[in-house]
Amino acid sequence: MAHKADLSIDYLGVKCENPFFLSSSPVGSCYDMVKKAYEAGWGGVFFKTVGIFIADECSPRFDNNAKEATPWIGFKNMEQISDKPLEDNLQAMYRLKRDYPDKIMVASIMGSNDEEWTELAKLVTQTGADLIECNFSCPQMTSHAMGSDVGQSPDLVRQYSKAVSSATDLPVIAKMTPNLGNMEEPAIAAIEGGAAGISAINTIKSITNIDLEFKTAMPVVNGKSSISGYSGAAAKPIGLRFIAQMKQHPLLKNVQMSGIGGIETWRDALEYILVGSHNVQVTTAVMQYGYRIVFDMISGLSYYMEEEGFDKVEDMVGLALPNIIPAEELQRNFKIIVDIDHDLCIGCGRCYISCFDAAHQAINWDFENRRPTVNDECVGCHLCLNVCPVLNCITPGKILWKEDWKITPDEINFKTRYE
Amino acid sequence: MDRGEQRLSKVTAKNQLQGKEIKKDYLDEAVHGYNTRTAMEEAARCVLCYDAPCSKGCPADTKPADFIRSIRFRNFKGAVATIREANALGGCCAKVCPYDRLCEEACSRTGIDRPIQIGKLQAFAVDMERKFNMKILEAKKADKEKVACIGSGPASLSCASKLAREGYQVTIFEALDKPGGVLTYGIIPSRLPQDVVDFDIEKVKELGVEFVFNKKVGQDITLTELKEQGFKAFFIGTGLWKSREIDIPGINLKGVRNAIGFLKEARSGKGETKVEGNVIVIGGGDVAMDCAATAKLLGAERVTIVYRRTIEEAPADIAEIEYVQSLGISIITKFAPQEILGDDGKVAGLIARGTDDFSELKLKADTIVFAIGQEAEDMKKIAPIELNENGTIACDIAKGFTNIEGIFAAGDIVNGGKTVVEAVAQGKSVAESIMNYLSKKEGVN
Repeated sequence: MAHKADLSIDYLGVKCENPFFLSSSPVGSCYDMVKKAYEAGWGGVFFKTVGIFIADECSPRFDNNAKEATPWIGFKNMEQISDKPLEDNLQAMYRLKRDYPDKIMVASIMGSNDEEWTELAKLVTQTGADLIECNFSCPQMTSHAMGSDVGQSPDLVRQYSKAVSSATDLPVIAKMTPNLGNMEEPAIAAIEGGAAGISAINTIKSITNIDLEFKTAMPVVNGKSSISGYSGAAAKPIGLRFIAQMKQHPLLKNVQMSGIGGIETWRDALEYILVGSHNVQVTTAVMQYGYRIVFDMISGLSYYMEEEGFDKVEDMVGLALPNIIPAEELQRNFKIIVDIDHDLCIGCGRCYISCFDAAHQAINWDFENRRPTVNDECVGCHLCLNVCPVLNCITPGKILWKEDWKITPDEINFKTRYE
Repeated sequence: MDRGEQRLSKVTAKNQLQGKEIKKDYLDEAVHGYNTRTAMEEAARCVLCYDAPCSKGCPADTKPADFIRSIRFRNFKGAVATIREANALGGCCAKVCPYDRLCEEACSRTGIDRPIQIGKLQAFAVDMERKFNMKILEAKKADKEKVACIGSGPASLSCASKLAREGYQVTIFEALDKPGGVLTYGIIPSRLPQDVVDFDIEKVKELGVEFVFNKKVGQDITLTELKEQGFKAFFIGTGLWKSREIDIPGINLKGVRNAIGFLKEARSGKGETKVEGNVIVIGGGDVAMDCAATAKLLGAERVTIVYRRTIEEAPADIAEIEYVQSLGISIITKFAPQEILGDDGKVAGLIARGTDDFSELKLKADTIVFAIGQEAEDMKKIAPIELNENGTIACDIAKGFTNIEGIFAAGDIVNGGKTVVEAVAQGKSVAESIMNYLSKKEGVN
């Protein structure tokens, strides 16, 4: 058993044993899969989106991109909503809730008009599901009346949120597309339409790689390909930003968020919690590694909470929000010069190259001894610290104050611990 | 599986755990190469140094830092080009270089954990060259003077390649029936597969270098005759082919072998040569290790290496010593052979005496291979050149001038027996001297 603190959290009025959920995707698309996921420790599942529309999928349908030797930095997926008969999906959801009453079943639905949304809401409510998520955001639907084309229109989001909330007594969640500049507008529209919570982000429209042989995107489907959703580790920074920005909006700050995008570890999950998520959802990491990764999410987060003295996950929600401020409000009257530990230094010269080619020529290179030293040109940008391959070799050192300096050094908080 | 086999399979498993796959077939390469994915993994470990120490560590200037960077940025062909431009025997060097004493010793990554496997990355790049059927080196029109290279080992091949690229008409004269010298006859194929040697030589041939086999200069043909044929400069890269001998009782018994003959016969046999019974190898260099591994892989029951110094002092690469040990060959140090025991004119055993002047060792043996160093054959047969006391050619190592105008030398025959990569480096730099000489008639010792 995983080391386990009390990770339970109230999410939209539903008590969840932990905040770790599978997102609506291939990883939760039938009874046997979800059963296995529940038994592995996942708190709940956003079941693969159901609709009146039954998807007809292409082959192959996935691709990933790599950096150096690390594959799956990001992942491209061309699957749409469920390709199974609606009846089968409803049956599966019903049986799962019956057999695992303490696990949370979220029904994800997608319609193409008010009638479909209404009907789907009624049908999934009857399965005993705990919550309903409206998928306004799948970027690879073959119909423009569905998916992210809907999510980009606040009016449609408001309209369909209303149709769904009117047809069920369950809390309704609106899942947002990141394929726009301002997510607050559709999110506010969803709340106005009656949604209780927001999920973000769905996948990002993408071309992961161009195949040099076929001169098309990957994956190659009979010589052609399409733009479709991107997810995985590379998406985390984008997901975090959208959640944080929504949570800082006066009209959304009290709306519960479910964070999605690039979550692989307990730390990733915690980061989403710290920017204001009550729940987190995972797919890509499960596609790569399987349901078992939840073991380390449960155990890792438990250790963290014990170490930091948090009793409840709820207490950590949004703790980072007050510290994420507009760029114009950042204090800019000091610089932190780096220290280079010549004993740890392996003499690779990477800091010298990057500082010269991309920063301020603030590092001198001793050819004979192969050691870098910082000169007076240093602006404290810390590019060197970012490229240094040796842990703790380059660290923040002395603080220098700009001329209009007024506060005392003690008032500056800066990071000294790196991993 | 008997106990010995069990033990050997344990050793194999242990080596596999350490990433060293040991194969137990004479013709099989001992080390598994990289594919594009594993090569990228290793290249990603490289910290891509400024003014990289590994590149400074290569005698032949093969620029590992440059070709690893090319691999890292997915320019595999560019990586091969870097290697070939600098090193005509890039494929062979990738297999037999003593990296741990050269580029890998200099590797900055060592400061974090362990060096980049530069040799394996180089081998990967050369594999790509073969896969893509690349032709990197281009020869200028061959309208310059005729140059004869004597011997077809690393020094000669490197020198010939450089000269041919610059438009000289080069002919290599080889005493044996195949090219490569020590590469073809003196190294075990598990370390240096023949196809790697052949590929490097093919690249030299593509530059227009001619090869004449079964012609020993000084014996089958004279330098004067070659001059008459129009050769204007001569490069001697014959290597060291005479086995050093010691005079102890029993040295003439049947079953006493010298390393060169033993390895040559095994390589010519392409894995079909049989070695039986108990084999003792005398020596502590790479050649001794190759002899021992050859004996074991060709069927010897028990192989023992007897060396007069300590393991730490042994000139063999650590990797070679570990390889030999992984095959179950024992190495007995600090013993020197004293007498070879015979039975009916054939070897029956060895008596060795400890260098402590006290310990004694008596071992049963059917074959005893002496791998205690090589010496120069009589170079005076080629020309009346000045020799060192040990028979090597007296000349400046970098420039290669001998005391006779127009005759140059490099490689083992000059340095007394060093590495392939040093022979390549010297062959290359002496080619520059030859070009200088032919264009300006300068630089005569």
